[in-house]
Amino acid sequence: MIEGTGWLKGFVITFRNMLRGPITVRYPEHKLTLPERSRWAVQQRLNDDGSPRCTACLICVKECPDDVLYIETSAAEGGGKHIDRYVYEIGACMMCGLCVEACPFSAIEMSHEYELATRHGGDLVRVLLQDVDAASPRRERKGEADA
Amino acid sequence: MSDEPVTGVQSILPEGTQPTPMLPKGLKRVPSGVDQLATEHLILNVGPQHPSTHGVLHMLVELDGEEVIAAEADIGFLHRGIEKLAESRRYHQMGTILDRADYVSGFHTETAFALATEKLAEIEVPRKASWIRSLVMELNRCASHYVWLGPVGMDAGAMAPFLYLMREREMILDVLEAISGSRMMFNYVRPGGVVRDLPAGIDAPLRAWLAIADKYLGETEDLLGGNEIFRARMKGVGVIAPETALAFGMSGACLRSSGIDFDLRKARPYCAYGEIDFDVPLGTVGDAFDRYKVRVEEIHQSVRIVRQLLDGMPEGEHTSKVAKALRPPAGEVYAAVESPRGELGIHLISDGGPTPYRLRLRSPAYYNLGVADELLAGGLIADMIVSLGSLDIVLGEIDR
Amino acid sequence: MSLFLAILLRFVGLVALLLVNGVVLIYMLRKVLARLHLRIGPNRTGPWGLLQTTADVAKLLTKEDLRATPTDRLLFNTAPYLVFVPAFMAYIPIALSPVLVAAHLDTGPLFVFAVLSMVPLGVVMAGWASNSKWSLIGGMRAAGLQIAYEVPLLLSALGPVMIAGSLDPLRIVAAQSGTWLGFIPRWFVLPQIVAFFIYAIASQAETQQTPFDMSEAESELICGFSNEYGGMRFGFLYLAEFSNMFIASAVGTLLFFGGWQLPWVATPLWLAPIVFIVKVYIGIYFMMWARGSLPRFRMDQLLGFAWKVLIPVSLVWVVLSGVVIRLVSR
Repeated sequence: MIEGTGWLKGFVITFRNMLRGPITVRYPEHKLTLPERSRWAVQQRLNDDGSPRCTACLICVKECPDDVLYIETSAAEGGGKHIDRYVYEIGACMMCGLCVEACPFSAIEMSHEYELATRHGGDLVRVLLQDVDAASPRRERKGEADA
Repeated sequence: MSDEPVTGVQSILPEGTQPTPMLPKGLKRVPSGVDQLATEHLILNVGPQHPSTHGVLHMLVELDGEEVIAAEADIGFLHRGIEKLAESRRYHQMGTILDRADYVSGFHTETAFALATEKLAEIEVPRKASWIRSLVMELNRCASHYVWLGPVGMDAGAMAPFLYLMREREMILDVLEAISGSRMMFNYVRPGGVVRDLPAGIDAPLRAWLAIADKYLGETEDLLGGNEIFRARMKGVGVIAPETALAFGMSGACLRSSGIDFDLRKARPYCAYGEIDFDVPLGTVGDAFDRYKVRVEEIHQSVRIVRQLLDGMPEGEHTSKVAKALRPPAGEVYAAVESPRGELGIHLISDGGPTPYRLRLRSPAYYNLGVADELLAGGLIADMIVSLGSLDIVLGEIDR
Repeated sequence: MSLFLAILLRFVGLVALLLVNGVVLIYMLRKVLARLHLRIGPNRTGPWGLLQTTADVAKLLTKEDLRATPTDRLLFNTAPYLVFVPAFMAYIPIALSPVLVAAHLDTGPLFVFAVLSMVPLGVVMAGWASNSKWSLIGGMRAAGLQIAYEVPLLLSALGPVMIAGSLDPLRIVAAQSGTWLGFIPRWFVLPQIVAFFIYAIASQAETQQTPFDMSEAESELICGFSNEYGGMRFGFLYLAEFSNMFIASAVGTLLFFGGWQLPWVATPLWLAPIVFIVKVYIGIYFMMWARGSLPRFRMDQLLGFAWKVLIPVSLVWVVLSGVVIRLVSR
């Protein structure tokens, strides 16, 4: 390279890039696909019949470093646990995925729901389950083995 | 009062007031003096909301015209008490906060902590886990260097390279997201190994990046290092002598650009680095341009390392069996990795409980920034910005 | 047509030209830089984001007029106009075609450079009156820079003027009609290539663009002298900058690229303004391209470059071309 022509080469490179076209996308119209492991808002996994897989064992609650999960339980009529509310404070969640890792029943998962901006403070606390009977731990374990 | 003309600080203070005697010499809250032309020195607050302080750094700068007479770095705006928080986190949860210390290269902090814990609890790490760790760390090093190189070009006024480097960085972040589940807050490396094995099909995007990495970086090199203006801006600016670098405990590319060959990957090989072939680029002068050259060459070397790691990725388990409620025996260890900024060490003390008794983070950028007071005085404002940028500071890691 | 009406018409025409230019140039800068940066650029307001700058103007116009208390009220308020008015006046002698010109001045380019040399005054005033250290440094830089680069700018314009033998834009352009050797357009850029490069560099400095954007080096001085300005006052400073870009490119077109004339063929009168504007915009595109491709000089390097390289070179070039022109014309 001749000394003193470096800046000219810069012009060539920027021009080449001008021809390459944009790498950005127009966001709401075009969305990029997320990798399968992407961690976003926590959500419940339900059985095919719509019943929760959660057994209210509270492992996720204890596991969460930021205490964003909260489960209120009571005794169910036919024995076992009844979930009054499964509360998820998404506003304080950092999507680390430790709760999902810890769950022995695969009852929760990290969803790909990433459009989480909201105008209402109330949306920052979600009730994932309300007033349902918790799954029996034994049945769920078995279900895992079948799958 | 005598008839002598009032000079120095006295001349600009309100009449009758004395400069505060508590101020140590060289602390620049008030102008330290006036020059022969009796023009007042200017105290300039650079940051914490300034486009070129690379985060929330506050610089107190004393100016004579455009010339920097003295400068002082004021840190602490991003302090989140990470070391204290670590004392209430269990060992497998630690990644979540350590990612946030050095937020541009989270894998290095995570790995340093994992290495320390494994040393303490005497955990055997499978070979594959070590290789995966090395792989993600090298990718992260490239991402970090990209995001250093771009802004340093912006400090010098070149906007385009920043965007071009973002293109490559985006490819790496996509890969890291596919591997770990998050773009920057990975939470992937744990004591004993890594959380999950590499996903299937990760080879293709990685190879796609490897194919263009050297070529595109070459373009950026032509745009920056090949440009006469950029060279004139960087050469001879912010020279750090080897003795100064050692005296301030500097490490990483800042140290190597001064000609001192110290790279933890070679000096104390960890993870897979003992089996990998790569060079450690060294500088000669220790100026900002040398730091630029060293970092660019480090990216090229990282590309080489990633290629080898990918080709030789062993089969096997990605983690060894580690108890969830890990209680390492009481003791004290130190483990360090070569982060993009230098020696990133974790000093871990355990009292046998489920959480560390004390965790101390040796953050390399903190030591590298220490030299700022020495480095910045004497140049112009423009030099100050470039020298400061060339140190590669990450405030998340400095303030912790 | 009464004299008053004629003056009014010309005035309105100039204002329209300036405003439309400002709006178009800002949009163009954004799009060109976006392409260069691998981005899309404005794409929301109107088709292809065409209305983006219009929306920005509306925003600037309706914004609260803020002035910090410690600023110097009179100077702070006048400075934007002192920057804007010369930029506006510089449009007066720009001839879009042989007939389309606001006022036919015999000393066209000289007038442009003369009024533009008043801009640093406004910039320093803005920097000083803002009572902010950043603005002050920015203002001082701008003044030093513009004084240094005005000299080579003027000297580089001398070459074409000497060949044409006149300062009159019409005669300078007329002297560039026809061809050399039958196929090379008789544009002054060829014999005056060195002068053209000096002109290009100096005008990039006059318009304060990278690599000479000293006064608002954003990585150093955040926004330089316009730091404390908001609303339409900032709008005026901003508009002046873009209109200077147009002026620099227009004068360059007149001096070096044959003005409104097409190469090889005679230009019909109705086509002349279009040809001229297209040429000017091509010039502006190159300025924007340079802006996207180059890093910024340091202040001392910049002044050193102007005083130690550009001015001596342009002086020698003026003497050389004077001698050659004399020999050739004999």
